[in-house]
Amino acid sequence: MTTTDALDTTFMRVLSASATARPFVLALAGVGLALALSGLLVLGSGKSPLAAYGSLASGALGSRDRIAVALNKATPYLLTATGVALCFRAQVINIGGEGQIAVGGLAATWVALALPDAPAGVLPIVAALVGAVAGAAWAALAALVRLTRNVHEVLVTLLMNFIGVLFVSEMLQGELGEPGAGFPQSPLLARAAWLPRLVRETDLHVGILVALAAVVAAHLLLWRTPFGFRLRLRGASAPAAIYSGVSMKRSLLSVMLVAGGLAGLAGALEVLGVHYRLIEGFSSGFGFTAVSIALIGGLNPLGVLPAGLFFAFLETGALAMQRAVGVPSPLVLVIQGLTMVFVLAAVALPAPARRA
Amino acid sequence: MPDVSGKRTVAMLTMRGITKAYGDVRANRGIDFDVPAGRIIGLLGENGSGKTTLMNILFGMVPADAGTIVFRERVLADHTPREAIAAGISMIHQHFMLVLAMTVTENVMLASNDDGAWLRHHAVADRIKEASDAYSLHLDPSALVGELSLGAQQRVEIVKAVLQGAALLILDEPTSNLSPPEVSVLLGILRRLRDDGRSVVFISHKLGEVLELCDDVVVLRDGAVTAARPVAGATREDLAYMMVGRDLPAPVERSARAPGRELLLVSDLGARDAAGVPRLRGVSFSVREGEVFAIAGVDGNGQGELADVIAGARALDTGSVFVDGQDVTAASVAERLAAGLAYIPADRASTGLVGIMTIAENLAMRDIGAPPHRRGWWLDRVATRALAETRMAEFGVRARDPESFAATLSGGNQQKVVLARELGRAPRVVLAVQPTRGLDPGATRFVIEKILALREAGAAVLYVSTELDEILAVADRIAVMYDGRVVGIVRREDADLARLGLMMAGVLEETSAAALAYGVSASESASRPGAS
Repeated sequence: MTTTDALDTTFMRVLSASATARPFVLALAGVGLALALSGLLVLGSGKSPLAAYGSLASGALGSRDRIAVALNKATPYLLTATGVALCFRAQVINIGGEGQIAVGGLAATWVALALPDAPAGVLPIVAALVGAVAGAAWAALAALVRLTRNVHEVLVTLLMNFIGVLFVSEMLQGELGEPGAGFPQSPLLARAAWLPRLVRETDLHVGILVALAAVVAAHLLLWRTPFGFRLRLRGASAPAAIYSGVSMKRSLLSVMLVAGGLAGLAGALEVLGVHYRLIEGFSSGFGFTAVSIALIGGLNPLGVLPAGLFFAFLETGALAMQRAVGVPSPLVLVIQGLTMVFVLAAVALPAPARRA
Repeated sequence: MPDVSGKRTVAMLTMRGITKAYGDVRANRGIDFDVPAGRIIGLLGENGSGKTTLMNILFGMVPADAGTIVFRERVLADHTPREAIAAGISMIHQHFMLVLAMTVTENVMLASNDDGAWLRHHAVADRIKEASDAYSLHLDPSALVGELSLGAQQRVEIVKAVLQGAALLILDEPTSNLSPPEVSVLLGILRRLRDDGRSVVFISHKLGEVLELCDDVVVLRDGAVTAARPVAGATREDLAYMMVGRDLPAPVERSARAPGRELLLVSDLGARDAAGVPRLRGVSFSVREGEVFAIAGVDGNGQGELADVIAGARALDTGSVFVDGQDVTAASVAERLAAGLAYIPADRASTGLVGIMTIAENLAMRDIGAPPHRRGWWLDRVATRALAETRMAEFGVRARDPESFAATLSGGNQQKVVLARELGRAPRVVLAVQPTRGLDPGATRFVIEKILALREAGAAVLYVSTELDEILAVADRIAVMYDGRVVGIVRREDADLARLGLMMAGVLEETSAAALAYGVSASESASRPGAS
């Protein structure tokens, strides 16, 4: 069995398991196992796992401010992971979220800096939309290489991450950089470009609403429209899709555009709602975290929601845990990794034997 | 028991009381199965009768719930396939277990149980040559397996088994992908293996081959043995009766009906596969209203590509396709469906049906962009479900409900889902490729009756099969495809099995004037469309 075959087999199992109630149960079991095993690690270092998890939870959920930070963190995860889930459903293995986010943030910054006098109500919307378009265009480039040169999209999207991220750095060293800042970042955006706050006196911006809307829209698109049906059919069986008149090329391009748009939007919201400027490395790791979230979420938009929130809350609580109990914050990366391993391992188990 | 080989008949294998249940389904119910040394045993039964389960238990692939196995005076219990092979049992599956990118020698080495530190290509190649000569396998040890015909690949499986020291060979449906000449070669090899003192279990539901080849036959029905007897003196009718527990009804009555106008016309079709190899070379013919035009040929001579091209699932290089006078050469799949073209593809497992989608979704998948499934931007799931329930009732699909996965259905029910989707919309032109492959006689009959009912209703049917019996049962005219071309077209009443077999093997080309006169020849009518 070749690696691609093994990948395909795992994939088909994720897909087939996702259509039942199994993944939800499996995900919960995966989280439980991951927490238990990480707890052993904490115990091994002579600390109390209960105290560590307690401070982790209070660090993430303990106050309005903490919750606001966590929800802001969840926003780009939810948007990007939703796009990844749609792609993977169609067996389009887009792992280019990182680059698409970077380019989306860059484009939004550029618009916000270029139109300093635009009215406050309009500028964030225009900048966010341009960010989405840029992300979609970046994904479309990868799709076109796939379609015209037949290079697998895993490779193209992966490599274009580097190009996208380095392109942002390049721009920050030059045209978009803040003179004399000493760090590769853009000047602060005009207040008119900032996303409005959702709750007074917290950092929570409206992005989380956009992310929730995207999740719901993706759910409806996937399960309630002919377009979504064709994506699922494409992912479930390429020969059956061709037999049913689904264009493999057009569907690949369109799902890449949707995913790239969502990732670009995520980058734009991160710039306009959190940093108010473009910072080198602002998207670092987002794209790959989104892939984990999409898989743990069973490649279902509605499954992405709890998975994305879980990851964001873990990361928000990590520093509090380190301060309070002295357990290093990277423990949450261990928990994330173990969750992913357990959930995928459980899903990849062959379904209970049926009549041969 | 009559002794053919002249050797003393001793029990090689004794299976007693083999029982196996999968959930509520009792696949094997206390089966007793004996194989004497030096005999060919036919294991007959419909799909789901338990023959594969029984052999999988013997080969150590699934454990039995109860029962004992004694093979050459050794008890086999909780054994693995590796242990079965070491004991002298080899199984040749319907889908070959070969690495196509490796040579014959390398494939044999993969299967060998002697694990020295070094690979010994020459020694293994010599042993292959020796075995190949002894059993007339005609194998070149250095040939790449991927470049061999299916018949030769099967002989690689046989040489693997022989070199593993198999005393008992199990062959699961070994003739399903072979042309008639290849089948007779295989049967000759199996006889030689038998005469050498080995035994063979020949799993099949082809009565003719069992009668021709086997010494004894064991018939299974619903997981139990209904007969175990010498083949000598048995008739087809006897075996069929033991297999299905009822008399097969007499062949379907076909009305003699005058052919109507041309509903399907193809001319000069040419197509290549992904690697650029031509798969179709200038195929032309026409099918008329109320006619079944059958295409015979060994699997892989362009039949599948032909149907794909007509249905719009594959691009063509040259030629054109007309459905009921309408040029659909460049039309989309949806437009072809609207023109009345239905397509039952050969590959049910991944093309015709999607196992991880529901039955309702499978019934809707080709029409998802049209009413009733689509309403504006949205899917109308209530309508899809309602239509699914109607179709399932109409075609007798036995399933818990339309929302269960298609993969949970038995083979026969899966094919009924495909039929329900394609034939349920009352098509004008039907492309049916191997629609009965892997089905038991009951399900086969159901499919053929549906096809003939459509003929009766005036549809034009293009029927592709590798089974000549089946083609003779349904066809009005028979075309033979070889290497991407139509090498002959004959009327059914003029059909001669020997000549058809030669055409299928690519050694004879002929098109009788009468066959062309039945309809109008394709090239003629292409120049004057609408002629009838």
